[in-house]
Amino acid sequence: MPVQMPDINLVTMLPEILIAILGLVLLLMSAGQDAERGRKVNAMALAGVIAAAALTVVTANGSSFGGFFVVDPFARAMKLLMLLATGMVLYMSMEYMRDQKFDGGEYQVMTLMALLGGMIMASAGDFVVLYMGLELMSLSIYVLAAWRRDDVRSNEAGLKYFVLGSMASGFLLYGISLIYGTTGTTLFTGVATALSHGHISTATIMGVVMVLAGMSFKVAAAPFHMWAPDVYEGAPTSVTAFMAVLPKIAAFAAIFRVLLIAFPALQSHWNPLLQLLAVASLAVGAIAAIGQTNIKRMLAYSSIGHVGFILLGLTAHTGLGYQSVVAYLAIYIFMSVGAFAIILLLNKAGVGDEIEDYKGLGHKRPMLALLMALFMFSMAGIPPLAGFMGKLYVFMAAVQSGMMMLAVAGVLFSAIGAFYYLRIVKFMYFDQPAEGAFGMELDFSARAILTVTGVVMLVWGLFPGALLSWSGASVKMFQ
Amino acid sequence: MVADLVFYLFAAVTVAAALGVITSRNQVHSVLFLILAFFTTAGLFVLLKAEFLAALLVIVYMGAVAVLFLFVVMMLDVDFESLRAGVKEHLPMGLFVGAVILAEFAFILSGVHVDEAVQTNAANIPNTQLIGQVLYTKYLFPFEIASLVLLVALIGAVVLTLRKRKDAKRQHIPSQIARTRDEAVELVKVAPGQGA
Amino acid sequence: MPENLKQLLVTIHGFGEGLLGPTLWVLAWTVIKIVILLAPVLFMVTYITLAERKIIGFMQVRYGPNRVGIWGILQPLADAAKLIFKELLLPEKADRTVFFLAPALTLVPALIAWAVIPFAPGLVLADINIGILYILAVSSLGVYGIIMAGWGSNNRFSFLGGLRSAAQMVSYEVSMGFTLIPVVLLSGSLNLTDVVNAQKGMWFVIPLLPMFVVYFISVVAETNRAPFDLPEAEAELVAGFITEYSAMSSGLFFMGEYANMILVSFMGSILFLGGWLPPLEILSFIPGVIWLGIKAAFLLFVFLWIRATFPRYRYDQLMRLGWKVFLPISLLWIFVTGLGVLLFGKA
Repeated sequence: MPVQMPDINLVTMLPEILIAILGLVLLLMSAGQDAERGRKVNAMALAGVIAAAALTVVTANGSSFGGFFVVDPFARAMKLLMLLATGMVLYMSMEYMRDQKFDGGEYQVMTLMALLGGMIMASAGDFVVLYMGLELMSLSIYVLAAWRRDDVRSNEAGLKYFVLGSMASGFLLYGISLIYGTTGTTLFTGVATALSHGHISTATIMGVVMVLAGMSFKVAAAPFHMWAPDVYEGAPTSVTAFMAVLPKIAAFAAIFRVLLIAFPALQSHWNPLLQLLAVASLAVGAIAAIGQTNIKRMLAYSSIGHVGFILLGLTAHTGLGYQSVVAYLAIYIFMSVGAFAIILLLNKAGVGDEIEDYKGLGHKRPMLALLMALFMFSMAGIPPLAGFMGKLYVFMAAVQSGMMMLAVAGVLFSAIGAFYYLRIVKFMYFDQPAEGAFGMELDFSARAILTVTGVVMLVWGLFPGALLSWSGASVKMFQ
Repeated sequence: MVADLVFYLFAAVTVAAALGVITSRNQVHSVLFLILAFFTTAGLFVLLKAEFLAALLVIVYMGAVAVLFLFVVMMLDVDFESLRAGVKEHLPMGLFVGAVILAEFAFILSGVHVDEAVQTNAANIPNTQLIGQVLYTKYLFPFEIASLVLLVALIGAVVLTLRKRKDAKRQHIPSQIARTRDEAVELVKVAPGQGA
Repeated sequence: MPENLKQLLVTIHGFGEGLLGPTLWVLAWTVIKIVILLAPVLFMVTYITLAERKIIGFMQVRYGPNRVGIWGILQPLADAAKLIFKELLLPEKADRTVFFLAPALTLVPALIAWAVIPFAPGLVLADINIGILYILAVSSLGVYGIIMAGWGSNNRFSFLGGLRSAAQMVSYEVSMGFTLIPVVLLSGSLNLTDVVNAQKGMWFVIPLLPMFVVYFISVVAETNRAPFDLPEAEAELVAGFITEYSAMSSGLFFMGEYANMILVSFMGSILFLGGWLPPLEILSFIPGVIWLGIKAAFLLFVFLWIRATFPRYRYDQLMRLGWKVFLPISLLWIFVTGLGVLLFGKA
């Protein structure tokens, strides 16, 4: 048998290659004895992420390894979001990491590897590649979640995430094997071709269901969300911030690719499931969050709710729907990073994660409290903030495709959800602070991140045009 | 005929060993049953003419993974009786869910249509060569990612467990070799009766 | 094969098929072949014990056994008789099944590995095309006997011995496996007959000398021989995992150990020293089997020589040697060999 190499087009993979090599170089650096290596590694990681983002923008469409790796506008958009999120999280957690003695350098290596896994998922054109990317991302994040290794809660977070994540991977693999067994290929386009002419067996549908279940776990959509609150609570805050953004973007990118490229023929089968996931996530996100006293747990439930909205946009299956998903993801990143930046800052000053601990923040640090309120209002979807725009477009898309009931449910749950966001605002402004609380210094990175995220909340809320045209362009290929 | 007999032998032992894994009271026995199941599964691979996979299964799973597994199970003094405490209450629920899943799969697989493309196999090429050829050409990209996944696992294991103990005695070979006679030996003249 | 020998084989086959019918005869013939293969192996196992005592005695300027038969030539038989007739003891708290399974599990892998060893062109029980992988797979099973013995005895010393051995064997199997990869690269095959044939021009020990050294030291550790005999270190572990074994059950452990020694010596001869090939073309009138035997005997002698010469390693030194010295060296040499094959082609 002649050995035949697939077409390898390394130019399309430059951002990934850059991140991979950077990760390896930083790993070598982190093996050193230099006490300042954490700072250097962080700076290099940030520079690499920025460079990769620049490369991502200029990479042309194309594919590599015989369709295993695909670059198209959607992949670029998703990678940009991931790079942006990772860059922001890395930048804002620099001081926190120093405080927590995380700054040996391996932390950043793991972060970059998780990012790489996510980027590979966004560009996957094949189930095998998708799975490998997912494992790379997940494994890195399992380790990150347990990073504070002397803390029982952090260990619990890592272990719980690992065990349940492995289970989800098992489901995913089982589904993939069923799909491979019935269609004879693992390429997304190949699967689509096989399904478009030929009979569709129940095993294929079961495969899709299992793949969807596995991916739902990664985005923490209800009823696959059980791990999220515990893991968000137990993991170090910088990791929680990372975990709240990167895997969600990556997994949504993968869901898009799998469902819209490989299984458009089965839409009537998977769409009801998506709707179910969406409503369940909305309900859990809104109702379960109310009873929470820990802000990280609360944000975990809140992120489940956001996943519900994103899924709702996806079920619309119109250009507007897809567009709203990408826009919502972009907005979600900024809201989430902003909120976690404040939690991180307060953590550093010794403020706990209980919502009670935020009592009187408005009196002591009006600017911080204002920003926190901004993020909370935005998450609740109160105009004129970006979060409102995101929800608005999702509802518009739902109504446009005739899903009145779902849109109503969305509005209802978003109204319920507003309660707990506002509760934080109430604690911050209407309660008296404890003696000597909130006496921390704001370093430059915190100021920068908070300024950027805060401004974005306002700008995208008031002038969403640019965001919408960008997200519209990125999903044009799915129509 | 002989091949059929061997198949049923291996299959029966695999199933029995798998049952042994979950029913053994002694956790070490469970692991040993697991190893037996690996072994007979390797036998099944050989019957399928996938001798390379069989060898890998034995080398990797039996030769390395299961040994470490056994190692850990023997070392850790886990109280498995207490872990087993809730089993009686949860058993009906577990059986119910298991039965539902089994029924679903039976239903699905009864109507399964296996694509021709999967069945074709170039019978004349040794499967070691075949696997090598697709692994390093068509699947080169996933293969490369796999190396990163393993690297991440490695870093994770080290980062989460390595504790530089202060009280551990370490051998530093370069300094041992670099020792000279002058710094190691001291000649002392001791007067008779004064040494102590 | 000489013509009259072939004739004899045909006669035997005809007779056997007439007696048992074709299906059963195939089975019976296989059994006969296995017996023909294993009888010399077991004979060697018996007599290597005598050789060991004699050679080490010689090196330590003493006589070694010399009472049973002339020069003690019947000593192994006397030992075997003693082991067989002694009482078999079972510790009260031991895990019965595991305890008695362990010795068998040590010996069996050491014996079934012989199936793929080619003694001369065509003279091999199973000429499978993944011979090297088969050997690796089978030899990786040997550790279970020891770890089960250590655990099943329900004795701290035994347990420590078992754990030490498990870690040691897993560690050295890695470097041993890596030393085989350059051999496979050069010969382009996993089949042991092909490996030997690929050495017609030059024995692999010449281009792969570092790998041969790593291989040999690794197998010394794999077989738990001195200076790496920590699992049974009598000074600290009272014979380690064998502490609780008596009579033939402990005898089986020793048989396993010696069978493994002989096996890896044959493997080393086949992989690096040209197997049945004579060192010089002129010497090819001597049959290949004898050449292979001479080479293996030399390696076995080195085993014993090492035992008589070196003191036992400390455990951390052992681990350091395996992971920090051998592993990098063998990885490097795989790279070098790959480069060589790329530039100059296979052997």
